[in-house]
Amino acid sequence: MQNPYLPIPVVVSKIITEVETKDIKTFRLEFLNKEDEANFKYLPGQFAELSLYGKGESPIGIASSPTQPGYIEFTVQKAGVVTSSLHEIEEGTHMGVRGPLGNSWPIEYLEGKNIVVVGGGFAFTTLRSLINYMIHDDNRKRFGSITVIYGARTPGLLIYKDELAEWQKRSDINLNVTVDKGDASWKGREGFVPTVCKEVAPSSENAVTVICGPPVMIRFTLPVFFDLGFSKENIVTSLEMRMKCGIGKCGRCNVGSKYVCKDGPVFTLAELDKLTKEY
Amino acid sequence: MEKRYIKKDSLNGRVKKMAEAGLVYAPVKDGDNVLFQVLTPGMEPLTAYANSKNAPKNFFFPHTEKLMKYTRTEKGMAFSGELAEARDAVLFGVRPCDARSFVLLDMLFDQEKYRDPYYVARREKTTVICLACIHPPYTSCFCTSVDGGPTDAAGADILLTDLGERYLVEFLTPKGEKLEAHFAGEKAGDEADAQKQAITAQAEQEITSRIPAKEIKPILDANFEHPFWNTIHQKCLACGTCTYLCPTCHCFDISDEQKGDDGIRLRNWDSCMFPLFTLETSGHNPRPTQKERWRQRAMHKFKYYVDNFSAIACVGCGRCVMYCPVNIDIRKIVTDISKL
Repeated sequence: MQNPYLPIPVVVSKIITEVETKDIKTFRLEFLNKEDEANFKYLPGQFAELSLYGKGESPIGIASSPTQPGYIEFTVQKAGVVTSSLHEIEEGTHMGVRGPLGNSWPIEYLEGKNIVVVGGGFAFTTLRSLINYMIHDDNRKRFGSITVIYGARTPGLLIYKDELAEWQKRSDINLNVTVDKGDASWKGREGFVPTVCKEVAPSSENAVTVICGPPVMIRFTLPVFFDLGFSKENIVTSLEMRMKCGIGKCGRCNVGSKYVCKDGPVFTLAELDKLTKEY
Repeated sequence: MEKRYIKKDSLNGRVKKMAEAGLVYAPVKDGDNVLFQVLTPGMEPLTAYANSKNAPKNFFFPHTEKLMKYTRTEKGMAFSGELAEARDAVLFGVRPCDARSFVLLDMLFDQEKYRDPYYVARREKTTVICLACIHPPYTSCFCTSVDGGPTDAAGADILLTDLGERYLVEFLTPKGEKLEAHFAGEKAGDEADAQKQAITAQAEQEITSRIPAKEIKPILDANFEHPFWNTIHQKCLACGTCTYLCPTCHCFDISDEQKGDDGIRLRNWDSCMFPLFTLETSGHNPRPTQKERWRQRAMHKFKYYVDNFSAIACVGCGRCVMYCPVNIDIRKIVTDISKL
């Protein structure tokens, strides 16, 4: 019987400090056993429990894409016991990962459609996974146009800056990066994400919006997409709750009858409407 | 299905004999309480008792158990997967309500996609011997309102029913049949069924608590935001007694402990009654007051479990009713909900 509670051993092969405040880092993990890598089949939008021995586990969205073989990546903000300890470790550290867990962005449903990706702050991680998945040479033709609207409070708080620069060069992504307030060196757009969404005004024709960000951003952005004609079936988001087991048994992450860990974390707005608002 | 009679006064000795041959958990007197414990030489298993204070679920899902262990290495830590070894065991003297709780817990822990190997291993290796309630022991018993019954055999491998001078022994599963040698006795015929039916009818009549537990599902479906939820939690102390004594409560926490170079990952029972249960690192808590926590408890038992597994997550044992320090009564809550 396979034991879903046991972490898979990995080594931290690379740590990237993403932001100027130094409290968001991306950890690249490589599997110590090759067969574990082959068994770790995931899709963008799934998460895993990062396991730091002596500290515990923390559920974090997978920031890499399955089109990037050889490793998995997680972007982690320093916050609680496990994530703060993670921020102390160095490259070469052995740790554990348990997953992949949860459902994923609805890849099959997204195929053949125009995709609008909206992200705010550091909640951009599984969206980055989705973007890298869609723009991979093997996959790009399966999706229509790709519009990305990504915002952070300041230029120094934007994550994945190198990738943003790469995407900016591509003609097959309409990338719109914005900051709430720029600085002397910032030449890009200024403005809150909802405002930028209104300006970019992506068509709702055969389109799906995938949105992830702080609650306040989501609250003000959703009306913009309703005005653009997006139905609740075509707006997809991801929930976060306190989790332990990640497999629907420990009983704390349910919203109504659904477990965010097992039945989510990805839900359409239409699905969320049917659930209680206890999240 | 094999049925036999055994002499009533022989049962205690047979249980002790089983304990000589292997691991037996049985109800024993411990101070003022009746508790399920590992039967060791010199201990007297109880055959006539009301019900135990602790639900026997801990033999499959312990209060605390090791999930794995690990050691510090130069590069960090290396884990060594550890499955607590499950031993063949007999769980004797379980009341029908508590036996039914195993069926309900199986639905959660023994799912196809994510089987819980710790629970499933113990469950598979343990034979459950159930002692029917010919006189339901408490006024707070309400098993018949939640699909159970005083002589029900769900969750049991062997069912013993007190017929006065003798017990009727029913071997219900292959696991139960393996213990046939311990229950040698006269073969029982159809007359036993008639006698058992009469006893069952009488026992069911003695259950005076009847609540509309199955009827409230549609009301719960429609009333997540009802002002009623502001009323039940007011006196709750958030002590968690109800969830710890409940045979079906299964929520747990996972935590790490480290000493020197050795560490273990543990799971411990947790409770939806505790504020920290859902508190997130950001400070946000989706169930910020005892109101939401009580709503979760009631909803989980009488709606969410029904949505997910088509069964009410309550067996009507009445422990939460008897031991709540401020007398919150789930029977009253259910009845009040039925009138919303």
